[in-house]
Amino acid sequence: MDLYVSNYAVLHIFGIDIWITETIVNTWLVIGILTMVGIVFRIAMRNPETVPKGLQNIAEIVVETFRNFVLSSVGPGLVFLAPWYFAIASLMLSSVFLSLLGFRSPTADWVTTFAMAFSTFFLMIAMGIKVKGWVGYFKTFLVPGWPFLPINVIGELAKPVSLSFRLFGNMLSGTIIIAIYNFITPWWASIGVPVLLHLIFDIFFGVLQTYICVTISMSYVNDAANG
Amino acid sequence: MESIQALSIVMVGVHIAAAIALLNGIFTTFGQGNITSTAIESIARQPEAAGEIRPAMFVGLAMAETSGIYGLLIAIIMLYANPLVNKFIEVAFKP
Repeated sequence: MDLYVSNYAVLHIFGIDIWITETIVNTWLVIGILTMVGIVFRIAMRNPETVPKGLQNIAEIVVETFRNFVLSSVGPGLVFLAPWYFAIASLMLSSVFLSLLGFRSPTADWVTTFAMAFSTFFLMIAMGIKVKGWVGYFKTFLVPGWPFLPINVIGELAKPVSLSFRLFGNMLSGTIIIAIYNFITPWWASIGVPVLLHLIFDIFFGVLQTYICVTISMSYVNDAANG
Repeated sequence: MESIQALSIVMVGVHIAAAIALLNGIFTTFGQGNITSTAIESIARQPEAAGEIRPAMFVGLAMAETSGIYGLLIAIIMLYANPLVNKFIEVAFKP
């Protein structure tokens, strides 16, 4: 049963142990695949044309759709964040589809999701300060009155935790259910049914949770900047 | 022998605790049912607003799902990565 993230090697650098886990290897696999897709698109669009065709058409459709999605969520002032959210969304989606190839999905490890949620946390604070200024942003912690300061601070700190646990819990529960199914059934039962399980738990929940994760992290940034 | 009995009692407690932690799925499901039924009602009343209601419904569903996921994570930690059980094994079966 692959409930635990397995560890491949331990590096000792300057007295610090660095564990090379399955998650790190799979994440670099995803990064490699995405980089290669990016290079292919770059080469195909070496001479961009006014009337797009082929790969340029696909790229323009995807980028424009995502840009409109970001524009409707965070408003025109922060639409320059669209490439960052597109990077996060494509990384999550690719790790969802990586689990179809038999690898463990990198988002089924809390480390990955917490790293993404923590970057959203910093982005939230930075955009709040950028739009409202230092004084204006820290006044939002005193909203109904000064006694609510600790509650507001805890509420802000809980945001990255809940954001990361939501994706992690969904992906881990799918992984565990598939592992338990493979463990308790005889070999002939694992011919067709796991396809259905992967379809539900990896594709459906994974894509839905990616969409929800990006939407909620955009609404957090929107609350901090424009709320 | 006594420590094995004590360990079995600890394991029973751990499994019961995991089951209780998963019971919050009842309330999560009720909340999600409420959200979905309200969204369907408003779509039926105003079908042209379906494109705006559906994303809001999904975000609300995800928000309501958070408590259920917390319960699931607590159950998983209880069963597979319980620090108290490891501590108990360390103390009770000390060579």
